[in-house]
Amino acid sequence: MSGIAKTSVLVEEGGNQCRKRSNISASSDQCSKRSKFDDMSSNEKKSNFSMLNPNVNGTIKMTTSSMNKPGATTKKLVIKNFKSKPNLPENYQETTWSKLREAVIAIQTSKAIAYSLEELYQAVENMCSHKMASQLYVNLTNLVEAHVKSNIEQFLSESMDRQVFLKRMDDCWRAHCRQMIMIRSIFLYLDRTYVLQNPSIHSIWDMGLDLFRHHIAMNTLIQTRTVDGLLTLIERERGGDAVDISLLKSLLRMLSDLQIYQDAFEHKFLQATERLYCAEGQRLMRELAVPQYLAHVEKRLREENERLLHYLDPCTKWQLIHTVERQLLSEHVSGVLSKGLESLMDGPRLRDLATLYSLFSRVKDGLTELCSHFNAYIKKKGRTIVIEPERDKTMVAELLEFKEQLDNVVSTCFQRNDRFLYSMREAFEHFINQRQNKPAELIAKFVDLKLRAGNKEATEEELERLLDKIMVLFRFIHGKDVFEAFYKKDLAKRLLVGKSASVDAEKSMLSKLKQECGGGFTCKLEGMFKDMELSKDINITYKQHLSASSECGGLELSVYILTMGFWPTYAAVEVRLPGELTRHQEHFAKFYLAKHSGRKLQWQATLGHCVLRAHFTQGNKELQVSLFQALVLLLFNDGDNLSFEDIKTATNIEEGELRRTLQSLACGKARVLMKTPRGRDVQDRDHFAFNADFTNKLFRIKINQIQMKETSEEQKATEERVFQDRQYQIDAAIVRVMKMRKALSHNLLISELYNQLKFPVKPADLKKRIESLIDRDYMERDKDNPNQYNYVA
Amino acid sequence: MKVTIKSWTGVATWRWIANDDNCGICRMPFDSCCPDCKLPGDECPLVWGACSHCFHIHCIVKWLHSQPQQQCPMCRQDWKFNNK
Repeated sequence: MSGIAKTSVLVEEGGNQCRKRSNISASSDQCSKRSKFDDMSSNEKKSNFSMLNPNVNGTIKMTTSSMNKPGATTKKLVIKNFKSKPNLPENYQETTWSKLREAVIAIQTSKAIAYSLEELYQAVENMCSHKMASQLYVNLTNLVEAHVKSNIEQFLSESMDRQVFLKRMDDCWRAHCRQMIMIRSIFLYLDRTYVLQNPSIHSIWDMGLDLFRHHIAMNTLIQTRTVDGLLTLIERERGGDAVDISLLKSLLRMLSDLQIYQDAFEHKFLQATERLYCAEGQRLMRELAVPQYLAHVEKRLREENERLLHYLDPCTKWQLIHTVERQLLSEHVSGVLSKGLESLMDGPRLRDLATLYSLFSRVKDGLTELCSHFNAYIKKKGRTIVIEPERDKTMVAELLEFKEQLDNVVSTCFQRNDRFLYSMREAFEHFINQRQNKPAELIAKFVDLKLRAGNKEATEEELERLLDKIMVLFRFIHGKDVFEAFYKKDLAKRLLVGKSASVDAEKSMLSKLKQECGGGFTCKLEGMFKDMELSKDINITYKQHLSASSECGGLELSVYILTMGFWPTYAAVEVRLPGELTRHQEHFAKFYLAKHSGRKLQWQATLGHCVLRAHFTQGNKELQVSLFQALVLLLFNDGDNLSFEDIKTATNIEEGELRRTLQSLACGKARVLMKTPRGRDVQDRDHFAFNADFTNKLFRIKINQIQMKETSEEQKATEERVFQDRQYQIDAAIVRVMKMRKALSHNLLISELYNQLKFPVKPADLKKRIESLIDRDYMERDKDNPNQYNYVA
Repeated sequence: MKVTIKSWTGVATWRWIANDDNCGICRMPFDSCCPDCKLPGDECPLVWGACSHCFHIHCIVKWLHSQPQQQCPMCRQDWKFNNK
């Protein structure tokens, strides 16, 4: 500290400043206080204002010098030191300290302080000002230490109830804090000056903490008792007992404040947590069902978070939560999944699944495990839907439902996680192809059913949505050619028999397929629609032609002209037509071929249908029948009772077909023929008669449903055709590969083929095709190496 | 008459009258169109030569354009369109 002001200051006379300063100096008390503010800065600067310098004695002298020059308006103010230092009383330090000491002890013993706080503060300040700060600090430290030490005793006694111990500990701590705050307030001046200037010294508050830590908290016995007590308390709280949360909080705060939270408490606490939840996890996994277990885990995590909020130190958070998650979840991930996922999914118990997802997303690899179990579940469940031939009827509906359910689960419970979506797709693709060809066929038929007229259950939008869903399934199918074959066959029927529910729906399905598989896949289907449109035009012009020429009246003929390549192949069937029909047919052919030269027409009798007007005793009816049915019925114009054989020779319809036709007329719902003897099946010796007494509440009756029904032969034929096509594709692929590679080993060729072929094939089939190509000299076996093939140009 | 026909919807398929299954130029079946077309039909008709060979019209026209002499690619006779 700068010492005595030796400088004299000239103060200009007459300035207000001068008067002000003299005022200041007049009351030395005030000045000494003021000066403290500036004592750092102004001292060092040695400014002109040294009159404001702090002076240990607090002495500032001002001398007003007389005017030096006549006429000058300035006067000099000179400040000089005291002649002699003012002295403190001899025993000032002792008396002041004893005063302070008395006060501190009063605080420590919770008694009234004899002096006013201001007085005490003043005393401290004075002592500091008179270089007694360090002694004062040492004295205070000793005093506090003595008090802290005196508190130890109460914690050391044997066999103390833990609750009581903790309570007393808490009281002691709170008292200590309260006292230290009070003491610090009194000794604030010491704290602000002496302590601040000496970095090695603890502030008064820290000194108190340090002493408390050193003497009480670090005492092994006391610490163990405290921590054990706390742990017991927490364990009881976890067990569901109500405990004194504020006590817990206060003591844990104490540990944190004393900076022994981590060393003394946290480690033990985490260990206890781990032990507790390890046991609990194992026990509850045995005892509880999975949903309850998950709910419990969720509850536990919530509780632990609350614990963190209420009394634990926030720095424990990560480790604590992690420990709980590890013991309750990580350890049991596969257990939970294998035990409960299936029933949760079957439910589906959406809320529980959401819980499951949110819990598992917290632990490492939890979602990976969940995803793989999810995948396995889909494969297993899906396989049962697909694999059983008895369930064929409902397969597609079940698949759609299953898919929807899974979509719902993924979107509501699994947050649309991409990983799950991919996994679901993969699983679907896997299981749906477990059974070859059938799912594709059934999907095609399902679409047919939905697109057929008379399917009034769905509105346009519903149908559209349904088709979208079906396309999703279709996407998974490997053998798309099977789908195409059946779809084409059914589409042909729908178009030709006029059973398509809506052209818009058909077109929309077509565009979906085009989008999915490209134009090559649908170009034939599009060709079919084109044929239908062209036929419509031709029929209009034909009708105009007829009305102009006025020949061939009596029956309305319209013909669908099909382009061979687009449509499924139909076996050519020759049947004997009545003269009237033949005449119309020839007339039309003449008309058509005149317009389109260079063509010939092949009539497809199996696909034709008619509307007949039938005369029954109860009144006239209109019958919608197939051409075959019509041919049979027309025979009864000339005879009443015909045998199977008669009908067969008269119509020349193929036997199986005829049997089915007769069955539909005589054994179906609308029996316009009577069969003797009665029975469901048509035998060679059966006779048939026209049922003149036929009644039906409808005027128009459809009997041509038989055309829409698929026979098993038809189904087999379609399948056969697909396989045939596949053989050509395999052949083409083999030749393509061999032509490029010239020479290739068997295994490489096979793997190359699997890359190229888009439908499932067995290696044995490939081998057969290779053999066949070798026979046909497209390629040969290498002479030296039987495993190698060479391309033969 | 017990039954009379009111209307009849017949179905027929058409094919080209050709003496071969495939076009000798593009090797595509006559039931489908030439490689440049998309749909068989009047847009991609067949033509017959005087030599009675038959091709997609697009194929034979392209062939004739590329040749100095107008010959049938199958029999090397002079090509003449036979409009029957």
